[in-house]
Amino acid sequence: MHLRQMAAFIGISYGIMALLPILVGDIPFIMNILVMCLIWAVVASCWDVMMGFAGIFTFGQVAFFVIGAYGSAILAISHNITPVIAIILSGFITAGMGVLVGLPCLRLAGPYVALVTFGVHMALQPLLKGEIGLAIGSGGAAGLLTIPPISLFGYEFTSSNIIPTFYLILLISLACVLAIMFMIKSHWGNAFLALKDSEDFAMSLGISAFKYKLMVFAVTSFLTGIIGGVYGHFYGVLSVRMLDLDLFSILMVMILAGGLGHFPGAVLGSFLVVAGSELMSPLGAYRAVTMGALVVFLVLALPDGVMGIFLKWLNKDDSANPAGSFSNGTIT
Amino acid sequence: MFSEDTVLLLYEMSDVLIAGLSNGSVYALMALGMTLVYGVTKAFNFAYGDFFNMGGYFAWMLIIGLGLQFGGYVTIFIVVLPMLFGVGYAMEKFLISPLRKRADWENRIMMLTLGLALFLTNLYMVVFGVKLKSLPAILDGILEVGEFVFSYQDIMIFCLSLGGILLFGWTLNNTRTGMAVRAVAQNPAGAKIVGINIGRIFAATFAISTVMVGFGGILLSQKLFINPSSGGAIMVKAWVVTAFGGMGSIRGGLVAAFIIGIMEAFVGWIFGMSYGIIALFILLLGTLIIRPQGLMGKGE
Amino acid sequence: MIRVKKLNAYYGQFHVLNDVSISVEKGQVVVILGPNGHGKSTLLKAICGLAEKTTGKICFNDNNIIETSSEKRVNLGITYVAENRELFPHMTVLENLKLGAYAKRARPHEKQNLEMVFDLFPRLAARIKQVASTMSGGEARMLAIARGLMSNAEFLAIDEPSLGLQPSLRTEVFNTIKTINEQGITILLVEQNIPQISELASKVYVLEEGQITFAGSALEATNDEHLKEIFLGM
Repeated sequence: MHLRQMAAFIGISYGIMALLPILVGDIPFIMNILVMCLIWAVVASCWDVMMGFAGIFTFGQVAFFVIGAYGSAILAISHNITPVIAIILSGFITAGMGVLVGLPCLRLAGPYVALVTFGVHMALQPLLKGEIGLAIGSGGAAGLLTIPPISLFGYEFTSSNIIPTFYLILLISLACVLAIMFMIKSHWGNAFLALKDSEDFAMSLGISAFKYKLMVFAVTSFLTGIIGGVYGHFYGVLSVRMLDLDLFSILMVMILAGGLGHFPGAVLGSFLVVAGSELMSPLGAYRAVTMGALVVFLVLALPDGVMGIFLKWLNKDDSANPAGSFSNGTIT
Repeated sequence: MFSEDTVLLLYEMSDVLIAGLSNGSVYALMALGMTLVYGVTKAFNFAYGDFFNMGGYFAWMLIIGLGLQFGGYVTIFIVVLPMLFGVGYAMEKFLISPLRKRADWENRIMMLTLGLALFLTNLYMVVFGVKLKSLPAILDGILEVGEFVFSYQDIMIFCLSLGGILLFGWTLNNTRTGMAVRAVAQNPAGAKIVGINIGRIFAATFAISTVMVGFGGILLSQKLFINPSSGGAIMVKAWVVTAFGGMGSIRGGLVAAFIIGIMEAFVGWIFGMSYGIIALFILLLGTLIIRPQGLMGKGE
Repeated sequence: MIRVKKLNAYYGQFHVLNDVSISVEKGQVVVILGPNGHGKSTLLKAICGLAEKTTGKICFNDNNIIETSSEKRVNLGITYVAENRELFPHMTVLENLKLGAYAKRARPHEKQNLEMVFDLFPRLAARIKQVASTMSGGEARMLAIARGLMSNAEFLAIDEPSLGLQPSLRTEVFNTIKTINEQGITILLVEQNIPQISELASKVYVLEEGQITFAGSALEATNDEHLKEIFLGM
């Protein structure tokens, strides 16, 4: 996809979002859902970039989200740092974690990265619930209940003044998504795509796949950490239940629905899925089962998601997407 | 000669050793299945742990209907193992092979199997309930040899696992399909030249691995509980064992499984059960840092 | 026996074979000459079902097999012997040969074919238990051809069997191919350089840049000045 098309897509999606409060601004329930859409759009986009663009299968996204959320909350509560600064600091902490995890495992084959990040994810829950967690102020099993909201110049952005808060989060979400877009479309991004097609050529240009992957890892963890922090300060409560594995299936459906590797697709995917998920809540326990089945179905039946359909309709050759440019021959 | 305390300690240690061996033998089944699939088809199956539980749950469903004697278990094996074979075969044929056409097939397969894992985990919770279930032991009671005490259960598990492993090895070396599997693992191009239908071999490989892990599930569910949400943890354990032994190496998987089984038992005995997991992770980290290709690296 | 009509093959976007038509009669030895990278291997692979995208017609005994899978073609009697040999590195000579008889048509004749193969390649008979990855280039070549014979093939497509071999071994390979042909097996051979071509082949094709630029008898080939220089090493 060209930069212009991406920007247009993002612009339109966020534009429509920005106009929705006119219609539903007085229904807090729906406004809350919209905020969730905006937050998950960032997480899903980050994961999509990691998996679909950089080709790294990682379980890190949810872990980084939680680290970002808890990090910011702890800084605000236990150390009295104002939320805005806490969020930014937390972003850097999360990015640091990302680099720490990425350094050893990015050189290894696909499943190893997944294994290590899965381990990080699994280790996070007992860590936060247990003694170490309590020591740093995670609230243990009870979680955190008194996270202060973001305040700028004395104005508090809480769920009571939902509309200004909505717009603030919309701006932050948009900024994150734009950051991702520039990262993909940058000189380095294009170089990385060249790398995927021919390692020798790219090597001769001095581009290292490893360095680029590490950078993507760091940037996506940073952004995920930031939006995690925003989440914490918006909801005011955090608990380790956020680490339940079902979240992965929801995120995957977002990415697949949007189109794996077709970047802005994840934004649309997350909007669709958050809305759809709410509609599905009467299903209760069966919702999680459905999500899992949806993932299987989407991977098989709709490999390029909504963006795939959209791109076919536009009839343009998606040269920016490595998966899309592979022709139909079977690999002999 | 020895003090009474030392003697008691030795007996305790032998208990721990036996427990470790019996667990290790099941881990071996699991690791072999995983390394086989990865070595031959290069697909990674996140739902592996849920297939382990599938074996346990299939057996459990039969037990409600049938009796609990030794004969009961024979029936279970005769019924459940082919079912597992069918599930594995169908999964590779219908869910995974369509994905190989894409350039990013490795990641897509991981996504699909992850979705499947979450589907199965939640399905188990909905269908069987969140409560832990258990299977009765194949053989109750204990065996006393002099002062040593062994539980028949551990012995049976060990023997049956070993039987499974030997059957696996025999199949690979002496049957046409087994040789074809080895051929595909060593050289897919050569396999095609010789007229092997690679798609069918992939499916057979997947099916064999599903049988092995499901069989392990039936065996170990007698000792431990069937926990619907344990699929992820079981998969990770199988993974750690396989990675430690070396992905794609059969000998490595065997050695790693027993080392880890015994190590886990002793760590649990000395420090407490929860530290077993920590020991596993330390082992994994160590492997990744010191020798990422595992004990026996890449090979057949 | 084999009639290729207007075969086109693609490797990704690259058009490797362009409207190629050749024919091989039963019992013949036909040689395809040409520079490297111009499609000779692809042509052989396409006939055996091992090439990527192909359009056109490939007729085996008057049946168009272009849509048939490579496994089925082995069962029809068409076997490929790769330039890279593609042996099973961690298996012994015997195991490699036995796998050569994997196809249904080959299984009932496994024992006879093993004997035949050991007769033809006494060096292999001496090394039954040797692991394939430890064999020398020449021995590996022989094993690859032997394995191909195990499939009870009627038609063998052999890709550069003498590549990288010393002249003495080369002669041996060509003599072996002649013997195989005398037993009734049709052979399509790809080579870069065969001085003995007129003894061995009945027909010669030249493939340059994905197209047939010469088709004729071996005699005509040896009398063609252009060909003599480039391909026949004379």
